[in-house]
Amino acid sequence: MTDTQWETYEVFHQTKKGDPHIYVGSVHAPDPQMALQLARDQFARRLKCVSLWVARSKDITATDYQDEDFFAQVTDKSYRDPKAFEAPDKESPDEH
Amino acid sequence: MSIELPASVPHDPLLRFILALADDELMLGHRDSEWTGHAPILEEDIAFSNIAQDELGHSLVWYTLYEQLTGKSPDAMAFVLAWNDFTCCHFVTYPKGDFGYTVIRQYLFDEAEQARLTALGESSVQQLKEIARKLIREEAYHLLHSKGLVERLGDATVESHQRTQAAVDEAFPQALGMFEKLEGEDELVRAGVFPGNEVLKAEWLKRVVPVLTSATLTVPVAGQDGSYTTSAKSDEGGRRKSHTEHLRQLVDDLQAVYRMAPNAKW
Repeated sequence: MTDTQWETYEVFHQTKKGDPHIYVGSVHAPDPQMALQLARDQFARRLKCVSLWVARSKDITATDYQDEDFFAQVTDKSYRDPKAFEAPDKESPDEH
Repeated sequence: MSIELPASVPHDPLLRFILALADDELMLGHRDSEWTGHAPILEEDIAFSNIAQDELGHSLVWYTLYEQLTGKSPDAMAFVLAWNDFTCCHFVTYPKGDFGYTVIRQYLFDEAEQARLTALGESSVQQLKEIARKLIREEAYHLLHSKGLVERLGDATVESHQRTQAAVDEAFPQALGMFEKLEGEDELVRAGVFPGNEVLKAEWLKRVVPVLTSATLTVPVAGQDGSYTTSAKSDEGGRRKSHTEHLRQLVDDLQAVYRMAPNAKW
């Protein structure tokens, strides 16, 4: 039997103009336009939304969970961490 | 809050007009809600549940206007009225059928809403004008959804074509019943309330025929370039409260919970 499932699209949601689009989930759809419409019903109905992105799931190139070495830290790299100075607070830039 | 109408607007025909709008939205909203948990894919299940709630919300808007004019509450209209006192068209009362029928019905209804609300946006009655201009924003997205499905299902596969065509054959004459002439309609037209159902029907045909045709679906119409006539026999009677068993069953479902405890406070 042929697979009649529609393709999946990954959905990214933006709450406010200028904010990052945040990944919220996926939808089945026959094409990108319908994916946007269905994403609107699934994800933009209760959340405040100003913009949605959809991308075909198969167009996303991802790392493999099995390939743990891809992210491995085999030597001590703590010297790279910015621990020696205080970063100014992003939320209140005037307090320092 | 109660409101006054201009003396030039015929009162009873206007009330009938508002109730017909409200009843159509209520019944179609109920039929759409029957897909909750049953639609062929999860995304459409949620989309149709969403549309169902929107349609019920629109019926509440019209019933609320009716309340402002008559003092009768939306609950009294939706949950207490006898099934054969509603004035919805037959079209919105028929069982949901298969998904093909539902999609075609929703599409034909959404286009009628566009034609009607666009016209009401210019109504001589301020309240109708304001409501129409608000609701059309939401209805535009219902249309985008149903039209999108029609365009895609019409010529996707042999089965999808057959099923959407069967749905058009069944739904088209029923849909014409949306434009059944109301008692006192001519007075409403003269008072500039709306342009009349014949005008809305012509506008509706102008919208639906090219879309259905380009989706490879056959429609029982003659004419071209936006001017069409149809040989299909319009399924009427609903506006005169002459209904089928399908509405009795629908209203039994719709009012079942309310009837268990009519005076309950929710």
